[in-house]
Amino acid sequence: MNNYRGIIFAYKSYPELRELVNRRTAASLPIFGRYRLIDFSLSSLRNANIVNVGVVMQRDYQSLLDHVGSGKPWDMSRREDGLRLLPPFGLPNYHTGNYSGTIEALNSVISYIKECPEKYIVLMLGNLCANINLKEVCRMHERSDAEITAICANYVPDVLHHRYVVGDDGYVMEVLFDREGNGEGIPSLECYIINKDTLLRLMDRCRSLDLHRFHQDAISMFLREGGKMRTYIHRTYARIIKDVDGYYAANMDMLSSANRAALFPANRPVRTKNAEGVSTYYSEGSRSINSLVADNCIIEGDIENCILFPGVRVGKGAVLRNCIVMKDTHIGTDCRLDYVITDKKVTISSGLTLTGSPKLPVVVPKESDL
Amino acid sequence: MSKSCIAMLLAGGQGSRLYALTRDVAKPGVPFGGKYRIIDFPLSNCANSGIDTVGVLTQYRPLQLNSYIGNGQPWDLDVDDGGVYILPPYQSAGEKGSWFSGTANAIYQNMAFIENYDPENVLILSGDHIYKMDYAAMLHEHLEKNAALTISVQQVSMQEATRMGIMNTGDDGYICEFEEKPAHPKSDLASMGIYIFNWQKLRHYLIEDENDPNSQKDFGKNIIPSMLAAGEKLWPYKFEGYWRDVGTITSLWDANMDMLTTSLIDLYDPSWPINSRSPVRPPHYTGAEAEVINSIVSEGCDICGKVENSVLSPSVSVQKNAKVLYSVLMPGAVIEEDTEVEYAIIGENTVVHRGAHIGTAPDGTAEWGVATVGPNVEVREGATVPASAMIYDSEEV
Repeated sequence: MNNYRGIIFAYKSYPELRELVNRRTAASLPIFGRYRLIDFSLSSLRNANIVNVGVVMQRDYQSLLDHVGSGKPWDMSRREDGLRLLPPFGLPNYHTGNYSGTIEALNSVISYIKECPEKYIVLMLGNLCANINLKEVCRMHERSDAEITAICANYVPDVLHHRYVVGDDGYVMEVLFDREGNGEGIPSLECYIINKDTLLRLMDRCRSLDLHRFHQDAISMFLREGGKMRTYIHRTYARIIKDVDGYYAANMDMLSSANRAALFPANRPVRTKNAEGVSTYYSEGSRSINSLVADNCIIEGDIENCILFPGVRVGKGAVLRNCIVMKDTHIGTDCRLDYVITDKKVTISSGLTLTGSPKLPVVVPKESDL
Repeated sequence: MSKSCIAMLLAGGQGSRLYALTRDVAKPGVPFGGKYRIIDFPLSNCANSGIDTVGVLTQYRPLQLNSYIGNGQPWDLDVDDGGVYILPPYQSAGEKGSWFSGTANAIYQNMAFIENYDPENVLILSGDHIYKMDYAAMLHEHLEKNAALTISVQQVSMQEATRMGIMNTGDDGYICEFEEKPAHPKSDLASMGIYIFNWQKLRHYLIEDENDPNSQKDFGKNIIPSMLAAGEKLWPYKFEGYWRDVGTITSLWDANMDMLTTSLIDLYDPSWPINSRSPVRPPHYTGAEAEVINSIVSEGCDICGKVENSVLSPSVSVQKNAKVLYSVLMPGAVIEEDTEVEYAIIGENTVVHRGAHIGTAPDGTAEWGVATVGPNVEVREGATVPASAMIYDSEEV
């Protein structure tokens, strides 16, 4: 039996994701023409044979429920255990607003953690876009005497992030909060392997002190009290998606074949909900340059530097540049779109022009009819 | 619980005329039209027509087909009181088992499976047809006409009629005569090889036929003539949509090219989806110098060259300066730099190395034909594969 259980945090919406999270959490955000953000954490777990996984959710989770269903695409639909969706249930009346921190979210599903037979817990963000070799991390964690292994990145994120300062002996000395740009320490991907007993102990300590946050409270306390923590450096593509800029940039990252190879290696496939039945058709007179296009599209226009989801129609004479076009969006003839993100089921009538800019892409909300 | 209608899909044929493509997989498992395999069409038609029990009769290379069909989930056929079943020939106690000796014998050998569901009617399908058809409409007419057997027919030209099984009808519209490849056809109604039988009637004629030592155990040659001779009611169900038999390289290639014309068959109609089982791959990528014209492209493809009037299955790669024209590329095919592939079918996971040239444009001669390279072949650098060639071994090229 596998001694690991996964817990994915999928309760956050992040206001900087604007219209994209009107009716969904960041974890269920469609990305790369084919996937939802949570697919990456689910697939990383699955590819390490960790199929007992809890998904912590709080509100606006309808689209997430739709997507993960019984967990079948990740082989998490098991006779016993497998995927468990965790809306707040642990502590009635404990909290009614948004979770004010990850520790509070964990405490609200404490019975799930207490009951699990596994020795180790893998904590992951539902909005982390990375294909992590968790088998390797697990091996490393078991060989070390650390109670916590923090998975870190070898690049500098362009958003606020936490960093770890590691001593010469390889143990973490200090955690630095909300850093920006270059600086001391290595950036955290907020993904951890933690001994179950350690996690429960930290959760209990925090609760008794009315502390809610994972890094600022629990990790700080752990390090202050001399807890042993190591880091694992994830050396390929990674991005935590928290705002529209990051979302847009991540999509455009996948137009590079090196990034695609890093995120979609053949031996650790990214799994997602069932495939579309039909391929994409390019008509006479269409043009498709440096773009990612999903199945079930009909392209009669001209696209360049674009990401197209299934069911998209691009009419004759339409010109799309630097756009992300989500599922079932219909773009009429002779439209001009530049730096535009259209959410699902948007209709854009013939001849319209929409122009955003690299730093401020126009976001057209779900089911808009322009 | 008895069912109104269950389907039996004849997938037994070796498909010898597709040789290079069917060495390792039965014909219904051959990739088709981008995301599909041939069997997706009858299976999807069944699911869309509300037929939830399908027996797939196969005796040739069933391994791939078995794993492809699995529990039938991609077609929503993973239901509790039905589902999709692979039915190979088998032995029973005290009997010497045998291969299916004909289409009728294949059904005869699986009567126990059919009886299990106690159906009123049995739909007999072929595993090598490309079409979208509502079997429920056919069943409705079958019941309305109180027929023992309803045969789906299509109007063809008198020229074509000489090469097909032709149904002659009487004044009342019922079939009065069946002629296989008549030199002078009396009617233009050709059988599509799709039958709905009243099960009790079929059962009777199957047993009778099995006991006839001179019978070839074939629906067209034996069962239908016997039923006509006995005065049973046989009704022709006229089907007007797109329908193609893809038993030969030419017809397989033709039908693939037809998929590029929505007015022939609309694969994008959400009311009649054709579903398939395929691994999740990232969306396909078209590079900075890609040129894709009038073509079908599937998930996981990587296109940096030119693709025109072609059909690409998932995970195909077309590298820089490669040209793919009027061709069918099956899953995982790799077309390296500076190659030309035209009027060709390239099998699964076959690699066409740099500078190779496969197939030629039609030159008007009778010898010309589509070039075929089977699965898992390495076409070496600079090699030439002529028109009409059928390659299945790397050493040949």
